[in-house]
Amino acid sequence: MKQKIFVVEDDEPILDLMDILIRKLGYEPVLVANGLEALEMIRKEPPALILLDIMMTPIDGWEFLEKLRGEYGKTDIPVIIFTASPAVEERMAAIQDTRLGVLHKPVSFNELRDGIDRYLGKH
Amino acid sequence: MDRNLRIGNYAISHTDIVRICVILSLTLSCIFITSISLSNHVETIYAQLFYFPILYATYFFPRRGLYLAGFCAIVYEVLAYIYLFPDTGGLIVTTGQATLFIGIAAVVAYFTEKINRSESRYRSIFETSLLGIILFDQNSFAIRMTNSHLAQMLGFPQEELGKMTFSQLFAVKDEQRKFFEYLGSNEDIINFETHFVAKDRGPVWVNLSWSRIDDNLVSCSVIDIDQRKQAEQAAEENYTQYKQVTENAPTCIIILAHNRIVYANPTFRAFTGYEPGELMGNDLRPIIHPEDRDRFPVFPDAPDPRMPLPGMTELRFLTKSGDTRLGTLFFTWILQKGSHAVLINLVDITEHEKLKETIQQDNERRRGIISTVAHELRTPLQPIMGYLNLLTQDPETYGVTDETKAILDRCAKSVDRERQIINQMLELSVLDSGKIPLKYSLFSVPDLLRTVIEAGGYATKADISMDIPPGLRVDADETKISIVIDSMISNAVNYSKPPRKIRIAYLSNSQEKMHRLSIQDNGVGITNSQLDEIFEPFQLPDSGSVSRKYDRIGLSLSIAKKYIQMHGGFISVDSVVNIGSTFTIHIPKQRQHEEKA
Repeated sequence: MKQKIFVVEDDEPILDLMDILIRKLGYEPVLVANGLEALEMIRKEPPALILLDIMMTPIDGWEFLEKLRGEYGKTDIPVIIFTASPAVEERMAAIQDTRLGVLHKPVSFNELRDGIDRYLGKH
Repeated sequence: MDRNLRIGNYAISHTDIVRICVILSLTLSCIFITSISLSNHVETIYAQLFYFPILYATYFFPRRGLYLAGFCAIVYEVLAYIYLFPDTGGLIVTTGQATLFIGIAAVVAYFTEKINRSESRYRSIFETSLLGIILFDQNSFAIRMTNSHLAQMLGFPQEELGKMTFSQLFAVKDEQRKFFEYLGSNEDIINFETHFVAKDRGPVWVNLSWSRIDDNLVSCSVIDIDQRKQAEQAAEENYTQYKQVTENAPTCIIILAHNRIVYANPTFRAFTGYEPGELMGNDLRPIIHPEDRDRFPVFPDAPDPRMPLPGMTELRFLTKSGDTRLGTLFFTWILQKGSHAVLINLVDITEHEKLKETIQQDNERRRGIISTVAHELRTPLQPIMGYLNLLTQDPETYGVTDETKAILDRCAKSVDRERQIINQMLELSVLDSGKIPLKYSLFSVPDLLRTVIEAGGYATKADISMDIPPGLRVDADETKISIVIDSMISNAVNYSKPPRKIRIAYLSNSQEKMHRLSIQDNGVGITNSQLDEIFEPFQLPDSGSVSRKYDRIGLSLSIAKKYIQMHGGFISVDSVVNIGSTFTIHIPKQRQHEEKA
């Protein structure tokens, strides 16, 4: 059974792309455009990894992360912030989460692969 | 003044000679009359005549007059004895008369002497007085008498003063007129201050007091107050100057004595909105913002080395209208009326602070815009880049021919370049905000160089030689230094001519305060006029040649320059066109700034 990777992202062209790329990398993508919906789905069925956009509605990536780690208690699921916003490192440093990484859009296919592999230890 | 005739040691005035003549003639006539009367035995009637010359003499010459009286009495007695012997009754009467003469003469001499002595005492007071004294005629203003002190004070000889009138002494017409008005009021005046003419210097400040001696004569005392007046004037000038400085100062000035406000200039009153009456004598503390009050010191009564005055202090104040204003305060000890006081200079920085805030807000907003723009620019690149990767990495699945793949590779390269430019632009904008801290650590330079060269694949593109001490370690931000070195080497590789030769060398010795690392290429070189431009973001030189050659590294050089500046260092460039360029990184061996939070 393939490991599930959640892509929480509200930009449709990117969701379409990620669907293909993640499949190609040998994982099963779950695409969700709404952070709150994603949280509910994760509650039932925790994925192996989450790729998380920051600038979203109704909740943004930071709020999603806070709820995931707090309310939903999923402290061990690795999360890769997948964003086009600059200077997220500062905020990430403040959070001090060892299971948190970042990929700056746009990423190449190889960069995406390396980033995911770092957390899922397939390299 | 009498003129004197000198006889031996005695000085005899003309008046005295006249007086002596009168005495002698009176005496002779008395002797003559007495002799006649005695020879005719009517002695008792004329003997009293001797009173006159004797009294006259004793009046003018008390001592000698008394001797004369004694002498006359003896002569009278001898004559009486000769003529009256042995008439006992007559002898008793004559002796009594003689005794009475001497008695009266002695009394006259005594009082005369006393009067003379007091007169000479007054004369000596008049002459030795430290006041100038003038006696003048109330009607003609002719000067009757002056003492030597006045002459000395005004520099005129006494004879010359004697020929002048009192009104001539005034230096200022208006003051003269005022004096006459006072004089006309018939009152005795004290402390009339005016200017007198002095012979050899300008007008002299004097203080006049006068009183009438009799209907015509006025006695006037003159005190030289010139020095005092000049000191007063100088003090007044100083005071006016000080007053102007403090009252018109654009900064607030407050003086505290024993922690109470004794002075506050109008600027401070405007700053706080309080009237002088509300400030004077009060503590400054109540108008300081409650949260800042503790930072305002209680000053000792005099400078105390154990309690030095605070340095520059920023405090918020509460104005009368309830606003909060911000001031920078400077403290100094001063002397105020002989005791110590604290002078406070206060600069109103409320507006300045507001402006700073506005600028900060503007910068925040600008960064916000840049951040949004970057987000919007980068997001659409993701599908382009992703799909291009997909097509080029798996050409068979998507039916991509070799020719199409070559085109797609070029597209991918361009997208990558655009991504790099956007990222560098963002990095520059964040660097401008000054918010990026340095993360210092001690790292090995040879290791870092090897990592950079390997990651960039530079060794395959050029012949790179290194002259670096194997154990060289540097205390700096490793990530940033590696970015700087990467852009330097990438620059050298891209713009050197085949056969590409790059030499990396560490130049400093142990005594130097800076690390110097140079990267030398054998490239196209840069002209002097282009040297400054290559570090400026988006600079397009007129010729276009540099931008064509260096446009891809323009931003990376700007970032490199900023990173090195953050370390307290700089980058220097030596270049010869068509021979090559040497970029040298200089960074201090000692840390410049501690890591910011």
